[in-house]
This record gives sequence, C-alpha cells and structure tokens, in this order.
Amino acid sequence: METIKAKLDETPFQTAGPFLHIGCMPNAIKINKIYQNDLGEIPFKDKQENELITIEGSVFDGNGVALDDVMIETWQCDEKGQFNEDSGFARLIPNNITKKFTLKTIKPGSYKGFDRKTYSPHVSLSISARGLNMTLNTRVYFEDDELKNDPLLSIISLDNVNSLIAKKIKKNSYLFDIFLQGDKETIFLDI
Amino acid sequence: MNAKSLIKRNYEKHPEIDFPDYKSSIFRAPKNRKISFPSSNTETIGPIFNKNIIGKLDNDLTLNFSKNKISPLGHKIIVYGTVSDQFTNPIKGALIEIWQANAAGKYLHDNDENPAPIDPNFAGCGRCLTSSSGYYEFLTIQPGPYPYPNRGIEWRPMHIHFSIFGKSFGQRLITQMYFEGDPLIKLCPMVNSIRNEKAKNSLIGVLDTSKSNTKNLLAYKFDIVLRGIKQTYFENRKEGL
Ligand SMILES: [Fe+3]
Repeated sequence: METIKAKLDETPFQTAGPFLHIGCMPNAIKINKIYQNDLGEIPFKDKQENELITIEGSVFDGNGVALDDVMIETWQCDEKGQFNEDSGFARLIPNNITKKFTLKTIKPGSYKGFDRKTYSPHVSLSISARGLNMTLNTRVYFEDDELKNDPLLSIISLDNVNSLIAKKIKKNSYLFDIFLQGDKETIFLDI
Repeated sequence: MNAKSLIKRNYEKHPEIDFPDYKSSIFRAPKNRKISFPSSNTETIGPIFNKNIIGKLDNDLTLNFSKNKISPLGHKIIVYGTVSDQFTNPIKGALIEIWQANAAGKYLHDNDENPAPIDPNFAGCGRCLTSSSGYYEFLTIQPGPYPYPNRGIEWRPMHIHFSIFGKSFGQRLITQMYFEGDPLIKLCPMVNSIRNEKAKNSLIGVLDTSKSNTKNLLAYKFDIVLRGIKQTYFENRKEGL
C-alpha cells in the first residue's frame, strides 16, 4: 500500500569522474597518511582462505576496451542468507596491468525476502566511473546454483539472463565480465 | 518483522545517462533500458559504517595532509548540511566521503593532466559520519575550476565530489556540489545532463556568511536527500496462510 508520499526529491547523481580514488580508495593511489585502510578491503573478517570464492572480471566499454578507472562496489549476505549491516561490503578497482577486478568473498546463501519469495544466491554491484552520469546497479548470480525460481531472473528473457550469471572457471572461482554497451550489454537494474 | 522497500527513483530528476555533450559517456553509457524490479533485502539492509573507522582529522582537509600544520593554499571554507531521506527523516550515521581539486584546480592523482601545481599540504579527501540530526561538516579550501578535454577544452565549475551511504545499498548516491554564483555552472555538460532546473539547482551549495566575522570563514550549505525507505510491519506467518 503506497499511502505515504515522498515530500522531497532525491538529490540528483553526478558522475564520479576519473579521480574517485582520492575520495573512496586513497590508499590504492598511494595517499596513505590519511585513512588507515581503504573502506571495503575485506568484505568478511575472520574468514579463512579456504572458505572464500573468487569472482573476477573486467568492465568493457563500447569499444571493447577494459576500463581501469572504474570502481565496483559489492554488497551481499553471508553464507546463511543473513544480511549483517556491518559486513559484506567490498570496493574494487581493476588491476592496472591485467584490467581485471578480483572479489574475494564468501559465497552468499539464498534468502527468503520480505516478499516471502526465495532469492538465489547473488552479490549486488554498484559501478561508478568517468562517463557514467549515474552509478549503475546489477547483480551477479552463480551458474552452479538453482536459478530458475529466482524472482528477478525469472522476469528476464533467456537471451539476456546470461549477462547476470557468473561462469565457473575452476573450483571456488568464477568469471563475471561487465559490458557497458554492445551485443553483450549487461542488464542494469532500476531497483 | 519489518518489511522494507525503497520508493521508486524518478529519473526525470536525474542526469541522462546517454548524454553525448559529455564525451566520455558516448562509449560508456549503456544503451538499453534498465530492468525495473522491486527492491528486496539486498537493497534495503545495510551496509552501515562504524564510527571507529573515522579519524579525528578526517573531515578537516586543511589539516589531514598538511606538513607541520602548514595550511594548504586557497581560502578556507566550511561545507555543511544535513542528510535526510525523501520523507524528511534525518539520517544518522550516513557516511559522506568527499574529494576535490586544490585551489589551483589540480587533483593529487597521476591521471590528472592539468598543468597546474599540486599543493604538498593538500590531498583533497575527507569523510565523516552524520550526527543524530543528520548533520555533517567539512573544513576545506575553495577548490579551483579546471580545464579538461571534452568538446575541445572545457572548464569544470568549482565543485566537490560527494559519495554518500545512508542505511542501505539502494540509497547509495554519488554526486557533486557546486558553488553559488559560479558562472561556469550553466556551461557544464555534466550539470546540464540534468534537464530539470529545480533538480539542477539542488546541487548548488548556498553561500552562508554567518561565520565570516567570528571565524574568518565562508560557509556553503548543501543538504542531501537520499531515497525514502518504506517500512511496513507484518506478523510472521506460515506461507499460504
Ligand atoms: Fe572533479
């Protein structure tokens, strides 16, 4: 029931521009003396290496060039499907040689949503860069999970749904490339 | 239990994604329509950041990188305001991270090709968490405008970049604050990617001279509004009942 009306407009977005590292990940660009650590270096503390999965990939522009000035933020629940307000967040930038980002995290569990539907395991992404007037949102699902009843995936046509599903490349390791434009353009969400 | 949901975004009050006047968007902005989907737990619960990450000088850009307490060049300003949601509720504990150029319009960043000097006492980054009334404040210096390649060389108006986390991933906002009276604002394609005049104007920090006498500072007020979250209480019931 939408009975409450919003009184104010949301503040509009503006691009994060090419220098977002200064504000969001200063240690990554060798501004070391201000913050002890960059935010989101480790999504879950107290986890052992053997409990972690890796999701890696690149963000490609319309020319097929992998970006190195993009920031990807990730947010997810724990292995039991529980959201803990203070863990599960990570910030990533691509390696400036390989142009790949690497998320080391735990595999999220499935959860029953407020709508009582069951969501397949997924990680939410927010993507910011020069050239993007608004941050983009998408999700990563995993190809070795049961996906057919997921409330989001089931409304997306079969040709497109693959852009949201990470491929398993070896044990505990997944590939998830993001395409900003072109034939393989990733599905972005208004969520 | 409380079911939470975010109210839908009004894209008419936001910039256009595919906006060729801003050249970098041409090969980066997605061309397809976004898939609209109701927010679920992922978008409505966290992350929330703890105050133990915040250092004492994190919101004082005039001191957090200075050597021997030497002030950075430029005039000092206070940038302050409140963070609230669309229902006017103040948001406590919102994380605000800012970054900006120095007084000469130069960023402390290897990719900045503007031939202006860096300032050894200024990094241009700061952060803070809002108080229980949603209040935030930064002490910094007035950033300079700067040239950048777009349709030929163009000039960015003076601005400070803002990144904000409220209570949930779906409230995440990245934006820029401009300065009242800057003649470059109306020429800027990034500003003009927002078609709605009122929305555009909401990004302009308003000059406040009340601190000029006592603290020798100009202040700019910039209030931030994040998406509203509706909460509805429901009893836990068994499925199908
Ligand atoms: Fe800038």
